[in-house]
Amino acid sequence: MSTRPLHAVASLTDDLRTWLPAQRWFAAKGRDLTDVRVERAVGLADGDPALVHALVEANGELYQVLIGVRAELPDHLAPFAIGQLGESHAYDATHDPELMSGLIDLMAKGADLGGLSWRAEPGVELLTGLRARPIGVEQSNTSVVFGYHYILKLFRRPVLGANRDVDLHRALWAAGSKQIAQPVGVVEGAGAVLGFAQRFLGDSAEGWATATASVRDLLAEGDLHAREVGGDFAGEASRLGAAVAQVHADLATTLGSDVIDAAGMESSLAQMHRRLDEVLLEVPALAEHEAAVRAAFDAVRGVSGGIPVQHVHGDLHLGQVLRTTAGWVLIDFEGEPAAAPEERVLTRSPLRDVAGMLRSFDYAALHLVAGGEPDHQQEVRAAEWADRNRAAFCEGYATVGGDPREHAALLRAFELDKAVYEVRYEHRNRPDWVAIPLAAIKRAA
Amino acid sequence: MTVDNDAAPDAALGLEGVPHTGESVTADGHLVEPQAEDFTSARQAPPDFEWYKSAVFYEVLVRAFNDSDGNGTGDLRGLADKLDYLQWLGVDCLWLPPFYASPLRDGGYDISDFRAVLPEFGTVEDFSYLLDQAHRRGIRVITDLVLNHTSDAHPWFQEGRNHPDGPYGDYYVWSDTDERYSDARIIFVDTETSNWTYDPVRGQFYWHRFFSHQPDLNYENPEVQEAMLDVLRFWLDIGIDGFRLDAVPYLFEEEGTNCENLPRTHEFLKKCRKVVDDEYPGRVLLAEANQWPADVVEYFGDPEIGGDECHMAFHFPLMPRIFMAVRRESRFPISEILAQTPAIPGGAQWGIFLRNHDELTLEMVTDDERDYMYAEYAKDPRMKANIGIRRRLAPLLDNDRNQQELFTALLLSLPGSPVLYYGDEIGMGDNIWLGDRDAVRTPMQWSPDRNAGFSRCDPGRLYLPAIADPVYGFQAVNVESQMNNTSSLLHWTRRMLQVRTEHTAFGKGDFTELGSSNPSVLAYLRRHTRPDGTEDMVICVNNLSRFPQPVELHLSELEGRIPVELTGGVRFPAIGELPYLLTLPGHGFYWFQITDPQEEGEPQ
Repeated sequence: MSTRPLHAVASLTDDLRTWLPAQRWFAAKGRDLTDVRVERAVGLADGDPALVHALVEANGELYQVLIGVRAELPDHLAPFAIGQLGESHAYDATHDPELMSGLIDLMAKGADLGGLSWRAEPGVELLTGLRARPIGVEQSNTSVVFGYHYILKLFRRPVLGANRDVDLHRALWAAGSKQIAQPVGVVEGAGAVLGFAQRFLGDSAEGWATATASVRDLLAEGDLHAREVGGDFAGEASRLGAAVAQVHADLATTLGSDVIDAAGMESSLAQMHRRLDEVLLEVPALAEHEAAVRAAFDAVRGVSGGIPVQHVHGDLHLGQVLRTTAGWVLIDFEGEPAAAPEERVLTRSPLRDVAGMLRSFDYAALHLVAGGEPDHQQEVRAAEWADRNRAAFCEGYATVGGDPREHAALLRAFELDKAVYEVRYEHRNRPDWVAIPLAAIKRAA
Repeated sequence: MTVDNDAAPDAALGLEGVPHTGESVTADGHLVEPQAEDFTSARQAPPDFEWYKSAVFYEVLVRAFNDSDGNGTGDLRGLADKLDYLQWLGVDCLWLPPFYASPLRDGGYDISDFRAVLPEFGTVEDFSYLLDQAHRRGIRVITDLVLNHTSDAHPWFQEGRNHPDGPYGDYYVWSDTDERYSDARIIFVDTETSNWTYDPVRGQFYWHRFFSHQPDLNYENPEVQEAMLDVLRFWLDIGIDGFRLDAVPYLFEEEGTNCENLPRTHEFLKKCRKVVDDEYPGRVLLAEANQWPADVVEYFGDPEIGGDECHMAFHFPLMPRIFMAVRRESRFPISEILAQTPAIPGGAQWGIFLRNHDELTLEMVTDDERDYMYAEYAKDPRMKANIGIRRRLAPLLDNDRNQQELFTALLLSLPGSPVLYYGDEIGMGDNIWLGDRDAVRTPMQWSPDRNAGFSRCDPGRLYLPAIADPVYGFQAVNVESQMNNTSSLLHWTRRMLQVRTEHTAFGKGDFTELGSSNPSVLAYLRRHTRPDGTEDMVICVNNLSRFPQPVELHLSELEGRIPVELTGGVRFPAIGELPYLLTLPGHGFYWFQITDPQEEGEPQ
């Protein structure tokens, strides 16, 4: 393999310094980017357009960048320009279907290119020649859909070592889980998983969209209760609860589980208090609830009996579940985005996932109300929707696992911890919405 | 039940003066039955052996449609007088519930003579006239035929009970005890306590899967099989285009089984099919089997040869799922049931409906489905209130025109041949005060005149009062006024039927759901490859929500093609590489033909 790609990308260093911080998946936003270095680069396709795969280190973090090179940049790719390479244009290739189309073919071939290995999962025969379709950018990855068949997630910030998303999917697939999308292939390089391909669930709709359609229906009615309106979501919420419980059961069966006592929760509690400390400094409005929240956290110390811990989803909310014609499916097992990679691999109480989903129901209920003029009637009705669907979720969960509501102290502490995290997030990003987690804290604490 | 060994076998029929079974008896004890040659045969419908795959069916109750003789009850001649209307509307086939001679203890499904017509509806000659007039207009006619049992007034039963050793002594399932076939469930648990009833005349028990006045025929007896095949031939000779075979799973009994769907039942259906294929090609058999689609497909027969039992069967669970999907503003109730529907043989077709004269009771479906529907319905007081109550489409949808159009568009575009229920094309209402059965069987509303133009009789003499409330009453809702108003539901329905006729994809195309990220939008592709290799491709997009919705469809495999909206012919932007964005009004829908740009527009 020639060294030309490396030189070429290295000559883009200045352009990358400007371009990287503008990307949604760039981690250290707000800090000056001084140190940018191209770790390695490999050509994946020659000609015009050409495709270069690069790993770039910026301020000590590793980023995956796919660079397209064209003599002429068509209009639809112009927004994704990175810079000039001699006479040619360099741009973010993940937006170029023509270049992306070849990636699954590399995987099907089992290609090894410049230290990158492209592999189909054992026993999977990948279809080739599929048309690629880039879809929306997420927090930390970029996804490309191939035909109606596969979705390839490119990890923009690859983590050295094991990849939780891949490992948990493989374990669940081996256990015969029907609540995940089948893993079909992996790209690895530089000691990290760079890409993860799964079966694409083309018939699916996001949990958030299905839940908020129900809320919209409720709020359009004058006085009907949540259980009376046509768009009632409780049946779906219950089936979702059962699906989540099934994933927990499958993870425990294949990867094991453990039981700790309340003393084993100390480090978690310390972390929860620490996060509260941080957020209190940033959001003064939280201060009036501090004592109650700390008391709720500390109540965990009084939990008698064992607390089961195991591998869990780690960042479960309505945006991480898909409704398909065959039922609910969970996606993105990468763990909590805010947690450090070494924390993400830890086993935790499955009630963390339950708490995440319960918080999400609260958000779904209030998102149409938040930010507008206060309307007591609407808030009461939205809260009724949230209560109804939170309960239905727990009932569904209880048909497969234990009823989460029997562990009220733990559930409450985890929900409050999640809400504290949300307060900071909303305070920074969407101040209008900070009322949602604050109201939840007020209610629960 | 009177015990009279000397009664004439046709005594219970009440058919004096018209040809019927058992008017005389041959020397060897056989009943003389009317033959098709005794009557005028209708002309044939235009030849097309696959007509049922793309036909629009129209269920019409003879009693309710049009009264020709002013006695307050609709009749066959009256129906024949309205064929111009049905032709104008664009229906392809009429489905008539049973019009045979019957004591009417089970809505005419208790047939006392397969070869005679219920006198209040007319005669066999009248039916032949109706058929002839329908065929003249390109409209076909099918009717229900109950294979499993007869009325106990049928001369076969009367002969059999009186003369156990005569030719009819083995026509029914007789037993000295009531203990055989104990694994068979009792279907009408509300009214029957056993599948056996003691007959004091013969001194034996007889077997009945339905009401005790409906003894089951004994299909073990080859003569019974032949007699029933001859009943098929009788009507096919007169010219009928097919039968909906009622209660087919129960024809045979076998100890140690539940006596349903037995292999020999399928064997007999194959015999029926062979009679049709060999002697009357182009006529159809439609199975009435209220079961799960995965089980119903058995009644299409061998898929290797395109099916060798029934041509059609009703898809029962789709209907409540459509209602549930629009109520929930979610496509999943429909998507799920279609995903669970197995492929059917090449020569087969589903029949689908929104409403008919019967209501789906949830007892007919699988445990899982019943749980699902109960779980969903039970939580929803409004849906719960509609379980088991027969309502018409318009009142079920609060008379909302947009929803009526959306439901009809779904019915006309989902896989299967649609069955319309008489009156729904004008948005007729129901009268729940008439009770469960009759609420949706009121007179057809033709005009604002007396009795809705249905009959010249005294209003008090009508078999059921016409709907007269201010919203749905015949003063407001009738054919005449909607004919005169081109924006009426009637004209809209007619236009949609025309559009459907122009595209073979609706009837014969395969079905692919086009998923999208919007859970409230149901989109699908219907594609039919014609014998000459060209394709008819239609995309249907339905907004199940009352709010406007956007949807992005992934159609890049059709890049460069141009969607043309089917009701107005408007060309939409060409399909490109990016997702195809559409916006729909609340409860809106689109039908697009997918065209090749080369075939469109003026010469370049």
